[in-house]
Amino acid sequence: MFIFTKMTQIPVKINNKNPRLASYILSQYGGPDGELGASLRYLSQRFAQTEKCGIALLTDIGTEELGHLEMIGSIVTQLTKGEGAKSFDKYGVGDYYIDHANGVYPASASGVPFSAAYLQSKADPIADIMEDMAAEQKARATYDNILRISDDPDVTNIIRYLREREIVHFQRFGELLDRLQSKIK
Amino acid sequence: MAGNMNMTQSQLMKKVSEALFYLTDLNLYLDTHPDDTKALRMFEEASENAKACFDAFGKRCYPLVAASADCGDNWEWLVGVWPSQKMA
Repeated sequence: MFIFTKMTQIPVKINNKNPRLASYILSQYGGPDGELGASLRYLSQRFAQTEKCGIALLTDIGTEELGHLEMIGSIVTQLTKGEGAKSFDKYGVGDYYIDHANGVYPASASGVPFSAAYLQSKADPIADIMEDMAAEQKARATYDNILRISDDPDVTNIIRYLREREIVHFQRFGELLDRLQSKIK
Repeated sequence: MAGNMNMTQSQLMKKVSEALFYLTDLNLYLDTHPDDTKALRMFEEASENAKACFDAFGKRCYPLVAASADCGDNWEWLVGVWPSQKMA
């Protein structure tokens, strides 16, 4: 089960407003390589894991990703707080405002709504962990893309942190894969 | 360090998040290195520290989990900074 804790993994404190940057960062909320897909992927795949270390790692990383989803939602909220229709339009994201106003909606930066088609659950521990390692790299690459555009240090510091976590997760999944493969031999 | 009486809310929160982050990172490491005795001792220490920081924040500021909310005349769980909000 899950118990909510009233805090984020690191504090989210964004002082400037920027609806356009918010719409880019939203991709890590509900986009193809975002945190919602990551958490659902791991928390779903864990049911078919056979080894305790696999069940534990997918549960623990899936839980951390849920926390990251919340951090992304917080960044988007703070970047758009109090901004109205005219501001969204001026920043070139009037289309987002028309559909969702200041709401946080799980979609990609290009506006495609979240889809479970972004992930798999194959009941094959090796296939699933291989997918997870690729997923961590794709999420890391998306954070790299955000860092290429963001010029707000409040945002950039958090994105760098989240990027680092993807690298740690990739490392742990790699170790898990080694453990699973050594059991097969 | 659970923090002393002169620390502000955001300083106390920084202690909590640092302590919990360290714990989370060790947790993932131990999932794939379950017999690493050095890491086990580190986790033990990190766990005690995280609990102390967590309790210190709850005592000085507001409850971080609903189970520890005070039930006097008012539902204390509503108090505090929710994740979408900025801490002063």
